[in-house]
Amino acid sequence: MPAAGSHRTLVAIPAYNEAVTIRDVVERVRANLPDCDLLVVNDGSRDDTAARLAGSGATVVGHLCNLGYGRAIQTAVVYAARHGYDRLVTLDADGQHDPAQVRTLLNEFDSGRWDLLIGSRYIVTKQYTGVPLGRRVGMQLFSTLVGLVAGRRVYDTTSGLKVIGRQAFVPLTTWQFIDFHAEAIVYLMSLGYRIGEFPITVAERQHGQSMYSWLSAVKYPLKTSLMVVLGVVEARLARRRAS
Amino acid sequence: MTAAGILVGTALGVVLLIWVVNLIRQDRLYAGYGVIFVFGTLAAIIVLIIPVLRDAATAATIALLPVASLSLVAIVILTFLMVYVFIQITVLSNRVMRLTQELALRNAEEQSGVESRAAERSGSRT
Repeated sequence: MPAAGSHRTLVAIPAYNEAVTIRDVVERVRANLPDCDLLVVNDGSRDDTAARLAGSGATVVGHLCNLGYGRAIQTAVVYAARHGYDRLVTLDADGQHDPAQVRTLLNEFDSGRWDLLIGSRYIVTKQYTGVPLGRRVGMQLFSTLVGLVAGRRVYDTTSGLKVIGRQAFVPLTTWQFIDFHAEAIVYLMSLGYRIGEFPITVAERQHGQSMYSWLSAVKYPLKTSLMVVLGVVEARLARRRAS
Repeated sequence: MTAAGILVGTALGVVLLIWVVNLIRQDRLYAGYGVIFVFGTLAAIIVLIIPVLRDAATAATIALLPVASLSLVAIVILTFLMVYVFIQITVLSNRVMRLTQELALRNAEEQSGVESRAAERSGSRT
């Protein structure tokens, strides 16, 4: 098994009410990535997530109340930046991502071509087959929107498996993001960061519920579209301020 | 509706739109609240400037409830007040979020410090 080299890598798992799966996910990460540090951001879970993490060997950052996925990721980014990590891997707590695939993702990231690498479910086929209609429309919409405003399409804007290089830590903690999806991708691309996609496969969700309810299915596209456009504006202003 | 009314309504909508978008950009208004105003105002402007839609809306509102000019002014004032209230909620919410994040990070750092000291102590005993 290739080592992660001299890079310090932090694997961060944001978790909200994932008591059923979290322990297994942590153990699989520790088994597959023994050279990486592990951080779980317990985002105000009301179930036994915190108890299940006791003695797991992971560092646990516990939000006192639920702040949402975007803020949980932001907490992990802040932690990684403060502790001098070179890269941050984000992974879902529902067990859909296979930690074994992180190794190949890290190897690709080590090529030095990317500042942020997305584990993509759709980069190979470039189609959203097998996805429910509502989600498929959303994915098409955001992929097209990213292509229009940032100049290059990203096929999996909602993937939770990402590798983030330390150079991207500061911009990700200085502006606001909803879910670290299309709006964060566009913001970073507009700032000149190199974002790539690498093929992965995901397992079906076995337990718990998706973080998207029917209400958020209406609000999410509106909010994210607005933030995508504002992300471009903000990035241009930031570049102008810097120059 | 008179031409002057349409002009004033559109101008007010544009002002509200620019204000809200700028507030969201500066993180002073949560995007989830702002999006209601942005898309609501956009829809109102579109209705206002397209004659067919405007006539339909006028007919519908007059049929349902007669609206005096004064109550329209009240609605505009209330809308701006609502934005102000949402700004205050966003500011408070952002502060709570930062506090929560900072507290969580410090607790974790403290905890890992305690654990590493305990590991050092047990190492020096053996």
